[in-house]
Amino acid sequence: MLFPTATFALFFVLVLPLSWLLMPHGAVWRPFIVAASFVFYAGWDWRFCFLLAFSILWNQALAVTIHRARSPRARTQLLIVALAGNLGLLGYFKYYGFFVASASNAFAQLGLDLPLEARSVVLPVGISFFTFMAISYVVDVYRGDVEPTGLGTFAAYLSFFPHLVAGPIVRPGELIPQLETPRDPRYVDTARAFSLIGTGLFMKVVIANHLGAGIVDEVFGAPRLHSSAEVLVAVYAYAAQIYADFFGYTSIAIGVALLLGFTFPQNFDAPYTATSITDFWRRWHMTLSRWLRDYLYIPLGGNRGGRLLTYRNLMLTMLLGGLWHGAGWTFVAWGGIHGAALVLERWWRGRPGHVERPPTAWRRTWQRLATFHVVCLAWIFFRADSFSDAWAVIAQLVSAWGEPSPLVTSGVLAAIGVGIGSQYLPRRIPLWLMARFSRLPVPAQAALCSVALLVIHALGPEGVAPFIYFQF
Amino acid sequence: MAEARGRRRRPRRREAEGGRRLHSAGSAVVVSALALSFSLLLNAPGLHKSASSQPSGWKRELALGVTGPLEELSSTLLLDRPRRALKAALGRSQDDVIDTRVVVPEREREGPQATPARPRRPLFTSARPLRIWIAGDSLVVVPGESILRAIAGRPSVVALGAVDGRLATGLERPDVFNWFTHVRDVMRSRRPNAVVLMVGANDDHGFMTGVPEGVAVGPFGSGSWEREYRRRVAGIMDAITGSGAYLLWIGLPITRDPEQTRRYDTINAIVQSEAARRRDRVAYIDTYLFFAGPDGRYAQYVADGSGRLVKVRADDGVHFERAAGDRIAAEVLRRLEARFRLRDARSPTH
Repeated sequence: MLFPTATFALFFVLVLPLSWLLMPHGAVWRPFIVAASFVFYAGWDWRFCFLLAFSILWNQALAVTIHRARSPRARTQLLIVALAGNLGLLGYFKYYGFFVASASNAFAQLGLDLPLEARSVVLPVGISFFTFMAISYVVDVYRGDVEPTGLGTFAAYLSFFPHLVAGPIVRPGELIPQLETPRDPRYVDTARAFSLIGTGLFMKVVIANHLGAGIVDEVFGAPRLHSSAEVLVAVYAYAAQIYADFFGYTSIAIGVALLLGFTFPQNFDAPYTATSITDFWRRWHMTLSRWLRDYLYIPLGGNRGGRLLTYRNLMLTMLLGGLWHGAGWTFVAWGGIHGAALVLERWWRGRPGHVERPPTAWRRTWQRLATFHVVCLAWIFFRADSFSDAWAVIAQLVSAWGEPSPLVTSGVLAAIGVGIGSQYLPRRIPLWLMARFSRLPVPAQAALCSVALLVIHALGPEGVAPFIYFQF
Repeated sequence: MAEARGRRRRPRRREAEGGRRLHSAGSAVVVSALALSFSLLLNAPGLHKSASSQPSGWKRELALGVTGPLEELSSTLLLDRPRRALKAALGRSQDDVIDTRVVVPEREREGPQATPARPRRPLFTSARPLRIWIAGDSLVVVPGESILRAIAGRPSVVALGAVDGRLATGLERPDVFNWFTHVRDVMRSRRPNAVVLMVGANDDHGFMTGVPEGVAVGPFGSGSWEREYRRRVAGIMDAITGSGAYLLWIGLPITRDPEQTRRYDTINAIVQSEAARRRDRVAYIDTYLFFAGPDGRYAQYVADGSGRLVKVRADDGVHFERAAGDRIAAEVLRRLEARFRLRDARSPTH
C-alpha cells in the first residue's frame, strides 16, 4: 500500500479513530495495530507477511533467551545466532543472486565451475529496514540497554506501518516505551503532522516524479544522446529527486505516526546545506547513519585503535552501507566515495599543525558547494545501472557542450530549485506557518488540507511511481 | 463542583515549538476525515479515471461504484471545476478523460497476400537520418534505452525523443491508455520511418474495454477473445505501416511463471501471424530463446558472449535487466541494417 494513494487514505481514515478509541486498552490496541500493519504490508504481497511474522518471533525468542542467559559466553553465542538469522534472511532475499554470480565469474576466471545456480528471489519490500530494527533490538537487549518487551509490543514495534517499508529506522529505546504506555489524546501536534504529510506528498508526487520523468530517467538511460548541459542538470536533478523522494516518504511516515500519537526521530536535516561529508552524514538519512555508527562502526573499533584503524573502520562502514542500499557494485562504489571523502576529511583535520579556522560566509559557501558536488559525483554511481553507464555520464559532462538541451526546461529547473532550495529556507518560516495553521478553526484546517491535496493530485503525473527507497 | 468537573474535562492549552497549538486526537480525526472527504469531491474526475484503470475484479467494481456517483455529485456541486481549470492551465485537460475508442484502419482483405517485389533498401544518412520511435509498455523501457545507447554514435539514426514506455498498459485496456489514438497521433505528427514496439505483457487477463457494440468477448484465449485481440494487433500494425513506417514488434519473453509464459505464447502467436501477413512491412523479433537457460527454461542469469554470467531478468521474473536490453538492441539494429541502408559519415562504405 503506497502512501500517496486513495487506498491508503481510506485505510488510514479507518485506522486513525479506531487506534485512538482502543489506545487506553493496550491489550486490545497492540493486536489491533499489528493487524492493521500486516494488512498494510499485505498490500504488496500477502506472502511477505509470513516473513515479517517469522522475523518477529525469531528476534523476540532470541532477545528473551539472551536476557535470561546467565553466562556471557552463552549470551554472545545466542547473539551470534540471532544476527546470523537476520543477516541470513537479508542475504538470501537480497544478495544471493548477486554473490553467486560474482563468485561464479571469479571462479570462471580461475577455470573453475561453481556448482550453484545464480538466481535472485523476489525482494520483500522493507526487509532491509525491519531487519536493521530487529538487529538493534537484540543487540540492545544483549548490551543491557533495553529489557525485552512483551511479544505484542515487540510485534507492534517491528511492524508499525508508518515506518515498516522505508523507515525511519527507529531504535527500541525510542519507540518501545511509547508503545508500552497509551498516548495522551489531549495533545496531538496536528499542525506539524499535517504539514509533514502535505510537504511529503508535494515533494514525492510533484517534485520527485516530475524530475524523474522530466529529465533523470531519460538522461541516465542513454547519456551519450544528451548534451553536457542536460547531463549536468540531470545529475543535479537526481540529487534533488532522491532527496524529494526519500524526504517525502519519511515526512509522510513521521506525520502519520504523529497523528497516531507517536514521535519518530528526524531523518533529514537540510543535507545539501552540509559543509563537509561528515556534516552531510549528520543530516542525510540520519537514522541509518546512527545505526551504522552504533552497530557497525563502533563495534569495529570506531576511532579507538589509532588513525589507520579509524580510516579502515570508516571505509568498511561506508562500503557496507553502500551494499545495504542494493546488490550491486555501483552501490559499493557510492559507499566507497563517501568513505574515501570521510577518511580524507579526518586526515585533513587530524594532520599535525592543522588549526580549524573560524567559519566565514565565503568559506561556508565554498565548503557547501564542494560537499554538494562530491555528493553529486557519488549519486552518479548510485543511479547508474553499471560502471560503464556511470563513466558515460561523467564523460558526457565534459564532451558535449554547446549542443541543444531541450530537456532543460523551466519546469525542471524550478523543481530542482524547490528540491534543493527548500533546504535553505530559514527554519522560522515553516514554524511560523505551522503556528498560524494550528490556530485556525477545524473547518478551515480541513479546507486548507483539501485544497493542498487538490493541488498535489492535479500537479502530479498519472499513476504513482514507487518510492526509490522501497527497493532497498 | 460543576466548575471543577468542567476544568477536568477541558484539556489545558499546550503549545509546541514556535507557538504551535496542540489539538486533541478527536480534532485530528475530524480534520483528517473532512479533508479527505472534501478532497475526494475536488479530485473526483481523477479518482474515477484511476478506478476505471484498475485491473478487472471486485476492487475495480467497488471503486467504480464509489467514484462514479462521487464524480456526478462533484460535477453537480461544481466542485470539479478547480481541478479541471488546473489541468487546463497545465495543458493536461485530457488526463481525466476515459477514452475507450478502438479506432483501427479497415482490416485488410483476408486471403493470400500478394507477394510484392522485395522492397528496395532506402538510404538514410546523417543528413537525412532514419527516424525511429520506440514505444510500448514497461517491458520496452530497458531494451529501448539500450537501443538509444546503441544509436548514440550513429548519426544515420535518430530517435524521436525518449523511450515512450507507458507502464501497465496494453491493447486490451484503452481506458488505461489508448494506444490506438496515441499511435495514430504520433504517426501523423512525428512521422517516424521505423517503429520499435513492445506491447502485450499486460494483455494476458482477458478483460477488454472498447469492445464493439454487440460483440461479446470470452475469457483469455477463447475464440472471441482471440478474434478481438487479433483485430487490435492488426489495427496497430496497419496504423503504423499505413503511414509508410517499418515496424519492428518485439515479442514477449519467457517468464519465471510457466502459466504466464503460456499466456504470453498465445499473444506472441497472434502477433507473429499478423506480422507474417505483412512481412515486408513488419518484422517480429522473437525474444523467447534469447533468455532461456541451457535447459530451455527460464533463467535469470545467462552467459554473455564472453562466457561471463550476467543478470538478464529483473527480480520480478518478467522485466529485463540491462544485459537483456543490450541483446535485444543488437537484434533490432541488425534488423534495421537489413531493411535500410544506414550510412554514417564515419563509415561511408557501410
